[in-house]
Amino acid sequence: MVLIGTRDIAPLLEGAPALDSLDAEPWSTPGVEILQATWEIDDRDREALLPRALHPTIPPVGIFTVARYPETPVGPFLLAQVRVSCRAAALPRGFLLRAFVNTREAADALGRHWGYACATGDVRLARYHDRIVGSVTDDDGREVLRVALVDPEPISGGDVQYVANMNLATLGGEPLLVQVDPEYTFHRAERGRPELASFDRAAWRAEGVEPVYPIVASFTTVDTGFPAIRFVLDPGKLAMEGTRRLR
Amino acid sequence: MKFGIFYELSVPRPWTRESERTVYMNALEQVRLADELGFDQVWCVEHHFLEEYSHSSAPELFLTACAMQTQHIRVGHGIVVCVPQFNHPIRIAERAAVLDILSGGRLEFGTGRSATWTELAGFQADPDDTKKTWDEIVRCLPKMWMQERFSYRGEAFSMPSRAILPKPYQKPHPPMWVAVTSPGTELDAADRGMGSLGLTFGGFAEQDKKIAEYRRRIKSCDPIGGFVNEQVNTVNFLYCHEDSETGIKTGQRLAGTFNYLASQLVAAREAYPTRSYPSLGLLPQLRQESQSPGEGGRIPEGLCIGDPERIIDVVRKWEAVGADRINFLLNAAETIPQQQVLDSLRLFAKEVMPRFQRDAQPREEAAAVAN
Repeated sequence: MVLIGTRDIAPLLEGAPALDSLDAEPWSTPGVEILQATWEIDDRDREALLPRALHPTIPPVGIFTVARYPETPVGPFLLAQVRVSCRAAALPRGFLLRAFVNTREAADALGRHWGYACATGDVRLARYHDRIVGSVTDDDGREVLRVALVDPEPISGGDVQYVANMNLATLGGEPLLVQVDPEYTFHRAERGRPELASFDRAAWRAEGVEPVYPIVASFTTVDTGFPAIRFVLDPGKLAMEGTRRLR
Repeated sequence: MKFGIFYELSVPRPWTRESERTVYMNALEQVRLADELGFDQVWCVEHHFLEEYSHSSAPELFLTACAMQTQHIRVGHGIVVCVPQFNHPIRIAERAAVLDILSGGRLEFGTGRSATWTELAGFQADPDDTKKTWDEIVRCLPKMWMQERFSYRGEAFSMPSRAILPKPYQKPHPPMWVAVTSPGTELDAADRGMGSLGLTFGGFAEQDKKIAEYRRRIKSCDPIGGFVNEQVNTVNFLYCHEDSETGIKTGQRLAGTFNYLASQLVAAREAYPTRSYPSLGLLPQLRQESQSPGEGGRIPEGLCIGDPERIIDVVRKWEAVGADRINFLLNAAETIPQQQVLDSLRLFAKEVMPRFQRDAQPREEAAAVAN
């Protein structure tokens, strides 16, 4: 039957955030700018990218996101993520490999409340005449990501699809996958060709994520947020069996 | 109300030489039985690269095998992908004509444009262009079939004057359909005088509205072909069993398996923001409103599963919303053993079909209408 993730999550758990609880107050974050670029990734060992709870997609897709949050309870920050497309049972999701954020306050809050495995670094999002570029430099000064949308053209926000996160975290020492599923109100959207100038797989815990075929890049301005956690999954069980509904 | 059967030809892993063949052979056995029992159409999809979900990448061959092994049942492309990178329009016209000849004039010709990134990217087709290429190609096909010689200068393709051969057995040509998954495509079907080949599992209310609008709009159509094919097909699952609980449980397993397989694919819209794909098509129907991975998706309403009486009630509702025919998906990844599928077909034919035969045309008359 369908493919199932085979990833040993023990190495990921070493850097996984510890949640305070599953009852974080939701955040509303207006005016967020999101650069998202996707590639088909090498499918030779796609099951090994995901824990057992999740299924690889056909084809597997690498999702690279750099977003600017101008207004949050912890102040403005930029958040970059690398995720792998997946299914939690029948539902489209993105398994978070790692995130970088440019403030310690945001890294702590996102980790403790929503399970984002955040490292700090210099995260930037800049618009040029023919491209929008997102970049991440780690605290050692190494550029670990440079991704761009080239030749942006306007599209309807309604055409853009964002998948919810599956973040690997712990609660009371027990591993779990946290579903983070914000809603989006689009104000502006553009589409263009994706370009990946640098990608340090090790920095993103993305061994095996080899972008091989560009799909698309989009840039949007949205009102969104970090919602109350509704579902958590046991990473060692199929989603159909191991999902717990919280609210 | 008439009844047909519908094939994805899904093959569960592990794939072996025999497992692929078993799926095809089981399907052919079902088609032969369906023909004997009075089902009037068999449809087969065209899909590529869709692991487990559908291994039907050469439906013209499968449908030819169906035609050679049956007497009456009509053979339908559900659909031919009218995207030049998948199929050159000349080859579409030629293969369809040959299938129509070999089947003795039993071809139903469904058209579409693919809805998954998996397939579009595999053929390096641009999602932005597929609606345009579909429209261009479906307008050319009837001319290719009806005109002695055909030449064309267009965007999807061009060609100098040639005789496209052979011509179909049915005159002026086989009935044409379009797959209706995205909202609004039923209007495209109506405007062009094409049959509406419903390939989603929408509920009654949604289908009622779509069908009503189709019927209204086709009355003022500008047909692309030699005649108007005003017909509405809808797709459904079928599992018929004497015991209602067994029928429902098995049917739900069938629907759930299909749902699970389909959801592993990447829809065009999911991957690529484009006006050309305004909805996720089939997949949201299957995922329904489920927000929880653990809920597994609500099974759509109106499924033909259970005992004969339950199925009769459901079919009556589909009849009431205006569907002309229900095409049944009988299995998914061989989750139901072959004998049970055959028994379900027999029981349906024995207990359910006669209750709707007051509207059925004799086979000969149906064939004459198509010609």
